[in-house]
Amino acid sequence: MPAVQETIDQVRMIDVDQYKYGFETLIESDLAPKGLNDDIIRFISAKKDEPQWMTEWRLQAFKRWQAMEEPSWARVSYPKIDFQDLHYYAAPKNQAGPTSLEEVDPELLRTYEKLGIPLREQEILAGVRKQGEPGEIDGEPSDNVYASGRVAVDAVFDSVSVVTTFKKELAKAGVIFCSISEAIREHPELVKKYLGSVVPVSDNFYATLNSAVFTDGSFVYVPKGVRCPMELSTYFRINEKNTGQFERTLIIAEEGAYVSYLEGCTAPQRDENQLHAAVVELIALDDAEIKYSTVQNWYPGDAQGKGGIYNFVTKRGDCRGRNSKISWTQVETGSAITWKYPSCILRGDNSRGEFYSIAVSNGYQQIDSGTKMLHLGKNTSSRIISKGISAGHSQNTYRGQVSAHRKASNARNFTQCDSLLIGNDCGAHTVPYIEAKNATAQFEHEATTSKISDDQLFYVMQRGIPEEEAIALIVNGFVKDVIQQLPMEFAVEAQKLIGISLEGSVG
Amino acid sequence: MNVHAQTTLTPAESSLIDGFAGRIADLPGDADVTVRRDNALELLKAGLPTRRVEAWHYTDLRRLLSAVPAFKPVSKAVAVSPLIDHAVLLPVLDGVASNRDARLPDVAVSTIADRLIDGDMSERLEAADLHDTVAAVNAAFVSDGYWLEIAEGASLEKAIELQNVHAGGQAHSRFVVKAGAGSKATIVERQTGTDEALVSSISHLEVGDDAQMLWIVLQEQPDMVSYLGQFTASLGKNAKLTLFVMNSGGKLVRQEIKVTAAGQGSEFRLRGINLLAGETHCDVTMVLDHLAPDTYSTETLRNVVTGRANGVFQGQIRVARDAQKTDAKMACNTLLLSDEGGFSAKPELEIFADDVACGHGATVTEIAADHLFYLMARGIDEKTARGLLVKAFVAEVIEELDEEAVVEALETRLDAWFAEHG
Repeated sequence: MPAVQETIDQVRMIDVDQYKYGFETLIESDLAPKGLNDDIIRFISAKKDEPQWMTEWRLQAFKRWQAMEEPSWARVSYPKIDFQDLHYYAAPKNQAGPTSLEEVDPELLRTYEKLGIPLREQEILAGVRKQGEPGEIDGEPSDNVYASGRVAVDAVFDSVSVVTTFKKELAKAGVIFCSISEAIREHPELVKKYLGSVVPVSDNFYATLNSAVFTDGSFVYVPKGVRCPMELSTYFRINEKNTGQFERTLIIAEEGAYVSYLEGCTAPQRDENQLHAAVVELIALDDAEIKYSTVQNWYPGDAQGKGGIYNFVTKRGDCRGRNSKISWTQVETGSAITWKYPSCILRGDNSRGEFYSIAVSNGYQQIDSGTKMLHLGKNTSSRIISKGISAGHSQNTYRGQVSAHRKASNARNFTQCDSLLIGNDCGAHTVPYIEAKNATAQFEHEATTSKISDDQLFYVMQRGIPEEEAIALIVNGFVKDVIQQLPMEFAVEAQKLIGISLEGSVG
Repeated sequence: MNVHAQTTLTPAESSLIDGFAGRIADLPGDADVTVRRDNALELLKAGLPTRRVEAWHYTDLRRLLSAVPAFKPVSKAVAVSPLIDHAVLLPVLDGVASNRDARLPDVAVSTIADRLIDGDMSERLEAADLHDTVAAVNAAFVSDGYWLEIAEGASLEKAIELQNVHAGGQAHSRFVVKAGAGSKATIVERQTGTDEALVSSISHLEVGDDAQMLWIVLQEQPDMVSYLGQFTASLGKNAKLTLFVMNSGGKLVRQEIKVTAAGQGSEFRLRGINLLAGETHCDVTMVLDHLAPDTYSTETLRNVVTGRANGVFQGQIRVARDAQKTDAKMACNTLLLSDEGGFSAKPELEIFADDVACGHGATVTEIAADHLFYLMARGIDEKTARGLLVKAFVAEVIEELDEEAVVEALETRLDAWFAEHG
């Protein structure tokens, strides 16, 4: 298994707590003054050239947010956040909107190079293979997106989307893939119709804050019957000091459409904590399918728990149509604090929701993550596979809800959450909420917590495999069910990430 | 945690608070006990818990406890015949211990009313936290009960049956049982009555080193009773406790179970059956702390939900850092037989030790179609087949108890319920 060897090599090469993406890029940037009030919101809205209705929408959200209380039910603890001590807008200076990559600040391109965005994507970002290449997308849509070897990327740097590749070719297929700011300007009818329809403006404290101050994010629209010809991908990066990043992603799959979307996130290494509060909304209409994968690797803080990102994210998918399907896959290795519950509302009859998660915590990281599967329609099904690995002094909580409403006949759920503890200073917790109000519902939930058993370790080591390698092998086996769900390139990346995150605790 | 002072009190909250003023003069207790009663009342004044309080997430007490009946001036309650033949009866009738001079071999018996006066009880009247509402209600109003001390090494021949019987109004009782090291006993706790009432009952059990205890809680309240129960136990070294709980009645039932596996090698087994019919709302909430190494626990709950009944199980297993080699397994299985009923489960694991094997499983389903087919293929009609399967589903838990007299007695109660609700 070469991937395992790679994991081990990575672990060996890197010193304790070396966060690979901890560099800072020195780019001149445009910053809004610190603090939050109506004027700042108008400022953001104006910067984005937004129509009046959008400004009103934001102000409305801000008004509601002021009356809300920060949630305290999650198993995470952190000093109180001063929401007036943050910049709510930061953008790289050359903001004219680059038409080609040559116009993009070379510093920025170097940043992406350092981020280690898969090589092929870098080529694309650098424009090498961008133009003039014959694409299979003009002909029959290929089932295998990798055959065309391309991934369309939207890169978000601090508050703005800097570049979106492959736009033209996607447009040929009728797919709209652009930054949300652009979508507000260019496709207001779509944004108006769907924005806030899955995560209402006043859904929760952080989502409401996001509704007021979101600065950018991705927008995807896949029209009726179209299978999106390539993987869509977004890279988020927080660079500026004392900024909060609030991105907003909206993905709509019309009747019979299919799209697979990946996101990756990193941030520089800093002593103070930074806030990230995103909202992601997915809408799948009749027979549509959305696959959403995340590799979250925000800076987790140092070995003493200093610094790191507070990741307070609301992600929700709405299976609005019959036979629709939404699948969440996440690999969580970063962030000082993660508070995140990608959910599915199974509204359409026969719709299906899936949640596959690996959450690795080390150092002083705190993770409180899970999912919600709300069965509303008939014959809906859902599947939850969650693997938590805690090491160091970290706390790792799975919190999930599965519910079947009165009319959700034949609702079906299977949940499995397993936790692995490495070391005696960490904690692993499982808090599922199972609620059935329909006699034909069938819910199964199982959870286990254990350490790597001596038997397993003995079995592997007895075959001449050294301990460190044996543990890595077992851990990789432990998370296999989830890794399998990731697009291939991400799977390799994720496997390495897990190795790095556990470094210092394995062996 | 903040005490959110409610701006307006619900009728039930007002009745509790106003009722206290009229009742306090009749309640036994020394000065210290009076202080604790006042503290408890302060807690109630802050309002009953709502679903915003995590421990009461599925039982919004403020909404569900709609009315609190007044105390009845004259006691009319009568003891019921014991579950197990020849058991020693210790009844509390309308909040008054009736067998005050009981003499048992190897067991010292006294009443809670006496203990409230001589200072042994006051610490136990303290609520564990702001939302320990069951403890607060009981602490404010508790009038009587029994205090048993089982001698070291004693093996009790006869089971002891503690009865809490009411004839309507209000009844608030406590039981304290200290099982000496190496002792062995079976105790039955009966909760029943005949009219609309608010009942609270708390049992404190201490199982000494190497002692073995089988404790059976049988809650069969009529369907206009709000019942708040709490069972707390701490286990010594190599102590073994089996707790069997059967709920088959009541309008609003909250049964809390708080067990601490404090001694190394101690074992705890919880077996529960909830038979829910009509409009019952029944909540079983367990918190189990594994504090010492090599402790073992299994919990099995079987629930049958019919009619417009609502069932809740919250089970939290907490494993402390020192409790290495803990082995804890919990299963909660529910047959939801009605589209108007509901069941919610929250099985929690909270683990701070790494060398453990912990797991939980929860299922909610209806009767498996192939099981039904199997029986019907043998000429059994559907109604009978369903009845057989449902009964088998819960009877399994009883059969595990391993004491013939107990198993037989409980099966009789089970049959009685099925005869009425089948």
